[in-house]
Formats: sequence, C-alpha cells, structure tokens
Amino acid sequence: MTVLMRRWSFWCLMILASLAVFGGELFDSPPGHPVASPFCKPLWLSRDQPPTIELRLTTEEPELSLDWRYSPPSGLSIVVEDSTGDTGRFVEIARPGETPIHLAPLRGGFRADGRDIAFKRSLGLPPFKDASASLFAAHGEYRLSVTGTEGFEGAVVIRLEGGRWGLLGTDQRGRDVAALFTAGVRVSLIVGLFAALLATFLGTSLGLAAGYIGGWVDSILMRLVDLLLSIPLLPVLMALAALWGKGLWQLVLILSVFSWMGTARTVRSLALSLRDAPYIEGLRGLGAPAGYILRRHLLPETFPVLLATMTLGVPGAILSEAGLSFLGLSDPRVISWGRMLHGAHSFGAFTAGAWWLLLPPGLGISLLCLAFLDVGKFLEERVDPRLREART
Amino acid sequence: MILRVEGLTVDFRRQGGRGVVRALDGVAFSLARGESLSVIGESGSGKTTLLRCISAHVAPDAGSVSLFGVDLGGADRSRLVALRQRCALVPQDPYGALPPSLTVLEAVMEPWLLVRGGRREGEARARSLLEELGLGEELLSSKVRLSLSGGQRQRVAVARALILEPELLLCDEPTSMQDASTRGEVLEMLCRRQRAGMSMLFVTHDLFLARRAAARGIVLHRGLLVEEGATGGFLESPRHPYTRALASALPRLSPLIDGSG
Amino acid sequence: MIEIRNLSVTYARAAGGEVRAVRGLSLTLNKGELCALAGESGSGKSSALMAMPGLLPAGTKVEGEILLDGVDLLAMSEDALNRLRWRRIAIVPQGAMNSFTPVITVGRHVEEVLRVHLGLTGRAARERMDGLFTSAGLDGTYAGRYPHELSGGEKQRAAIALALACDPDWLLCDEPTTALDVVTQKGIIDELKGLVGSRGLGMLLVSHDLPLAASACTRLLIMKDGELVEEGAPAEIVARPRSEHSSELVNALLRLEREGAP
Repeated sequence: MTVLMRRWSFWCLMILASLAVFGGELFDSPPGHPVASPFCKPLWLSRDQPPTIELRLTTEEPELSLDWRYSPPSGLSIVVEDSTGDTGRFVEIARPGETPIHLAPLRGGFRADGRDIAFKRSLGLPPFKDASASLFAAHGEYRLSVTGTEGFEGAVVIRLEGGRWGLLGTDQRGRDVAALFTAGVRVSLIVGLFAALLATFLGTSLGLAAGYIGGWVDSILMRLVDLLLSIPLLPVLMALAALWGKGLWQLVLILSVFSWMGTARTVRSLALSLRDAPYIEGLRGLGAPAGYILRRHLLPETFPVLLATMTLGVPGAILSEAGLSFLGLSDPRVISWGRMLHGAHSFGAFTAGAWWLLLPPGLGISLLCLAFLDVGKFLEERVDPRLREART
Repeated sequence: MILRVEGLTVDFRRQGGRGVVRALDGVAFSLARGESLSVIGESGSGKTTLLRCISAHVAPDAGSVSLFGVDLGGADRSRLVALRQRCALVPQDPYGALPPSLTVLEAVMEPWLLVRGGRREGEARARSLLEELGLGEELLSSKVRLSLSGGQRQRVAVARALILEPELLLCDEPTSMQDASTRGEVLEMLCRRQRAGMSMLFVTHDLFLARRAAARGIVLHRGLLVEEGATGGFLESPRHPYTRALASALPRLSPLIDGSG
Repeated sequence: MIEIRNLSVTYARAAGGEVRAVRGLSLTLNKGELCALAGESGSGKSSALMAMPGLLPAGTKVEGEILLDGVDLLAMSEDALNRLRWRRIAIVPQGAMNSFTPVITVGRHVEEVLRVHLGLTGRAARERMDGLFTSAGLDGTYAGRYPHELSGGEKQRAAIALALACDPDWLLCDEPTTALDVVTQKGIIDELKGLVGSRGLGMLLVSHDLPLAASACTRLLIMKDGELVEEGAPAEIVARPRSEHSSELVNALLRLEREGAP
C-alpha cells in the first residue's frame, strides 16, 4: 500500500474522488444554475475586469464602501428584500469625490435592473447606455448606504455583474465552471468505473464459458466477438443513443456491450490453456463439476488479468463518454466534461476566447485517464513480478 | 490382475494434418495387486500416453485397457470417475500438477474434500503425508505458486496423489527434479506403500531408479514394448539393442572407483 | 589459464534483500582440460559460470577477480569484453538449444556470427561452417534446416558448433545435456570430450547430474550453497569425498547403483 502512495496517480485519484463525493458542498448553488453573466473570466485573470460583486446592506451593516479599480461593471441590479412597505428612505450611492445620490427607494419588493429605461431616467442617466457603465465609470472609492435604518428589517442586495467569477469563470449560460467541473468528475468516474466493471464481468464470464466449455458454445461466442469487434463503435453508439434515449445508465450499458470483447479473448485463451493442465484434468477425472473448477481454479487465475484490464478499461470508457457527450449524444441534463466541451464548442467559446471553458474539462479528462493508466501499470507490476524487476 | 493392457495402440494426428504419429504400438502387459512395475522410457517413447490411457483420459485406437477388472472402453462416465478415485496419477511436469492459487495444504487436501468430504480428517491425512515426504511445516500454508522449487512441487504432487489412498499409483518421473539426497527418501516412501499393498507403475528413463522402484519392468521405445523382464537384468544383461544402448549410456559413479572408468 | 580468485556474486531480490549466489569461490581452469562443476540447484554453479564472460544480469554485485592469462575480466570495459566473447571465451548457455531464432536456418545463425565477429563471408564462411558442423558431429545438410526440424540433441550440437565459430580458447557449457535422452546425452558428452582433445580447448561443464559430470571430466568441482566444497580427480572424490555434503551425495548415488530391487 505504501508503494501505491508514492505514485502521483494515487493522490490525483484521491483528490478527484473526494471532489466527486464532497464537491457539491463547496458551492452554494447547484451547478446547473447560472451565477453570473456568461463567459466570465476566472477571478485570477485580467485584474482590470471587474469581478461580479454582490453587496448586502442590512440593519447591522447599513453602509459599505467599494474600492473600484476596474472597468465599469456590465450590469447592475438592486433588490430590496423587506416586508415592510415604503419607509420613505432611500438607498444612496456616493461616487468618488461626489455627494451621495439616491439610487433606489427603500421599499420592500423593489427591484431594478441597470437596463431599465425607467430606472435610468429616474437617475438622470443617458437612456441608451447601461446604468452600471454610467455610474461606475470612474476609479475610486464608492460608498453605498441606506439613509437611516429604523424599522428596516431586511437587506438590500446590490449586484454588480462583472467579467470575472470564481475559480474557473462561467460558461455560455453563466454557470460556474468550477461547479460544473466538480459535477463532471462524478459523471466521468461513475461512467468509467461502471462501464469498465460491467464490461469486465461480461468479458470474464463469456470468456470462461467459451474457453472451458468449448465446442459450439465457443464457436458462437467467438463469432459474436468478431462481429462486435468489426462494428465501428461511434456510428453504432450514435444510432443507439438516438434509439434508446440518452440517459446516463443507457450510456454505461452501451459502452459495456461494446468493450467486453478484448477481455473475453484474453480470458478465453487463459481458460483454454488451463483446461488441459494436468491438475485440472485430474479434477475433472475425479468427477469435479465444471462449476467447481471454474470457481475455485479458473477464476482466481484470471484475477491478475482482470485487475489490469479493469483499470485500463476505465480510461477507455471515460474517453468514449466524453466523445459521445462532445458530439451531443448524451443526456443534456447530465453535466459531464464532454458535455461541457460540447457546450463550449457549440456556443461560441472559441470566438469569445473563453479558453477557461475548454482547458479544465479537457485537462480533467486527460488527467483522469492518465491516473488510471498509471494505477493500471502499478497493478500490472504488482501482479507480475518480472515487470517489477525490470524497473529496479 | 488389477491392470491388464492388451494390444494398446494410440495414434495422434500430426499438427498441420501431415499424417499420424503412432504414440503406442500394440503394448501389452499386466500388473497384479500389490505389485509394482517400472516403465523405462524417454520422451517420445509413449510413456505419458500409456499412463493417460490407463487413467482413461485418452481413448485407444486399438486394443484395450482393463482396470480393476473393468474394461475402460465400455465404461460410462460415472464408472470411470469411480475408477479414477482408486487410481492416482503423478504427472511428469510438476508445474502443471498443482493448482497455483491454493496453499500447499489445500492442494493436497483437495482430492479428499472433493471425493470423500470431511475437512478435519482430510487435513490430518494431508499433514501426515507431507511430513512423511519431508516437507517442512512452514511450507504448508504458503501458496503453491509462490514458494516451491521444482523438487518440492514434485513431492507435493505425490502427496496429492496419495491422499485418496489409491490402489494403483501411476508416477511419471516423480523424482526427476529432486536432489539426489531427497530422491531416495521419496522412493523409499513409495516402496513402503507398495509393500503395504499399493500397486505402482513407475515411469523413468533411469535404469537404476527403475531397478530400485520395482523388480519387474518393461522398456518402451518409440511406442513399442521392446523388452520385458527383471529390472536388474536390464542393467546387467540387456537384450534389446535399445536397452543395451541405454544401459551403456547411463552415467555411473561406480566405474570410477572400481577402476574401469 | 583462467584463475578465479575469491569470486562473490550477489543478486538483488525483487522484493528487497539480497541473495548471495556465490561466496568466495577460487579455482583454476587450464587449457586442454575438461573441468566439471557439479552441484544441486541453487548451489551457484550457473552464476559462477556466467560471471566469467560478464553475462550476469545488470545490477548484480560481483566481487573478486577473474584472471584470463593475468588480465582481470571483471575490471574490463564492456567493449573489451565484447571483443573477448565468442573469440576467446565461448558459451553454450542453459537452454541454448531452445534459443535459436525460429525463422532462420541453423546455417544462417552460424553465418551471422562468422560475419560479425570474423568478417567472413561467401565461400570462406561456408567452408568454415562445414568444418564447425563436422566438429560438432553434424553433417553438412544441417546448415539448410530450420531449428524446429532438428531433434533436441541435434539442436544442442548446433549450439556447440555456433559456440566454436570463432575458434575460441575456452568453452563454457551450462547444463548442455539436460532435457536430452540418455543416449543423446552420452553422444554430446563424448563430442565435448573430443573437442577438448582435438582443439586443445579449456572447458568448463556445469551440471546438476553428478554421475554425468564425474564421468565426463578430468577434474571435478562440487559446489554447495555458493561455496566450493570439493575439488580433485573424479575417481578421488568418489572414493574419498572430503566434505560432508559430497560424501552424502556420493553415497546416495552409489547405493542406488549397487543395490538391487527392494
């Protein structure tokens, strides 16, 4: 186990698995919900772009100041959350070096958006330019406050839409890319693991049956293998996706059905060679039932093969899923990395120059696959001591 | 007679379909209860095929094998299974003779558990057999795959064959991988059983071992039984040219001392 | 003369730890002499043999000296050793008969060695090849045959012919007769004995079969657990073994040869 812990892939997989399990807790809203304007850059990029800021003025904190050093925000919205009626008070904004002006009435349920012409007119701002652009044109310290707070029990939420959000920015619908990434880990891991597991199970049982029973069972199964191997995967997957629907579990099933063949062949040749081993022949001669021999002797011999093919099958499944999603053939309600790439590709990430939409899922897929491949290599070395000696 | 072989002929089709190889050609001999017989033969002599015919894994193309009074050719599957429980085979290749995933103790116990059942008795029998064969306690719980040398495997294979207390033991070169020191022990153990009533067919290419294992023997060469008689006679006064060649080619230490080497 | 002084060979085990295959081995080999190194499996005899031409696996610790006419082989560079192999020291390794490339004829194997190491091609190569096959007891037709067409004994003779290609001074054979028929074994041993006589070679034969080794050689060495326990004329050792191990061994074998059936 300690040897395993020395490998980078172990830690990588642990981190990604933790993300898959606990990732949801990291974010306030579900990944599918928009949180900011589309194509926001990550926070750590282009510092002159304003981040998306949400300010809350409450009874405890009726005044907030903002050191504005960016270009103007792209949008402005004000929501007054309060159950009382008109208090006759106002929300004020003081621009740098200027006196405060009324921004909005402090009336429960009041909502204003920087694009409302009525709102702009009430502030005396030019009607065809975004209110936020006019208001926040200058750099400096801005102060937002509420004039008096007696009887006010709520909050004023002022939201400035910026061009930056979160760790990885936002996608074409304004959804947090980091949240989507985290949701995508789960899908990739689930699809990868289950598809590989199912394929391994299918391949092992059919391979053992073909190799041990032989005869016409072997012939039929091997012709089936040949048939499935000669069918090009992608067109069939596309057709089946169209016919059966695009759910996640349908995808797992389809991927398994088309990837058990390699394992079956390997297991079959193993079973063939073992079937004629003297000790197996002796057991058969003593009347041991086939089930006993398969379970007690043949199956344990296949474990090294299975372990390795399983860990190497996971990347295959992940890539297949990613590919299908990228082509748009997966369930649109399910967030996966491939789907993210599909969205980025179809909705103009390239033209928007939003590389933060493409790199994380792409790198994520590569990293996950490489990690599994490395673990597979480790397991192969563990199981076959000859490979281990070659390393030292 | 617990074993009677008559006119046994077995042909194998050559790979690629280029004709047939005659592995056994009209071999005939018999074995009485409690008797042992050495089968002297090298690779290609048909010795392995002979053993597999007797254990009913190969069907002859001509001739017959009668085991414990039952003609193997006419017996059905359940009959054959019952017969094989009384006649055990120690294969030539020790690496194919044992299940690699079991421990040594489990490997020896397996035939008992399969046929008789009774775990505790099986384990006791296995332990005593392994001790008799000189395999240390520490080996019993290690996996066959991992820790056994060729010689140790052969001894475990012998134990596995003996656990059902067969009436007839077929051994194919059971001491080939043993060091000279342990070879004698294994032979002695087998001869002890034979004196207690077990019949034995001992296949070897070494005339000295053949003489030690049994008083009577047959010589197989390219599928033919070329000589039959006392095993001591094969060394001292061989009749067939092949036996003669074998006797003279066998390396010996004695001539070095007696001064004739 | 090859002189081995205090040779130690230590292998690294895959699971960690070391295995001392040879400990403090010292012996001398002379030309014109067939020396046999006998021992049970694990005694270190193959490791001792493979240490001489420097053919132990990478990472093996080798200590001591192996002097070929005064020059230490263990201190030589790989290039220098390469020039030595085949031309001065030739090896017939364990399982040589199964190590032929299956897709080229036996003759092609020999031609390649002659071309690479002696620069011989064409007629000169073919003449030499015929000579080699005859020395090994095979007639000329074998050159055109593929390895799978030869029997075990014939393949081993071809391996010996290959080893003799560059007319070496020393021939090291590791278990040259294992897995062969008794009659064929005798043939190979006789052939090897003849080569020592006719070519003045120095030969080291390694075998786990003590009677075979004893009847083949003029000087017998017995190893156990990496150490040399017996050295001398075979008749001397068999009649009066000095170490406990060899006397047990010799007595067990003699008992088998002399005793009748139980």
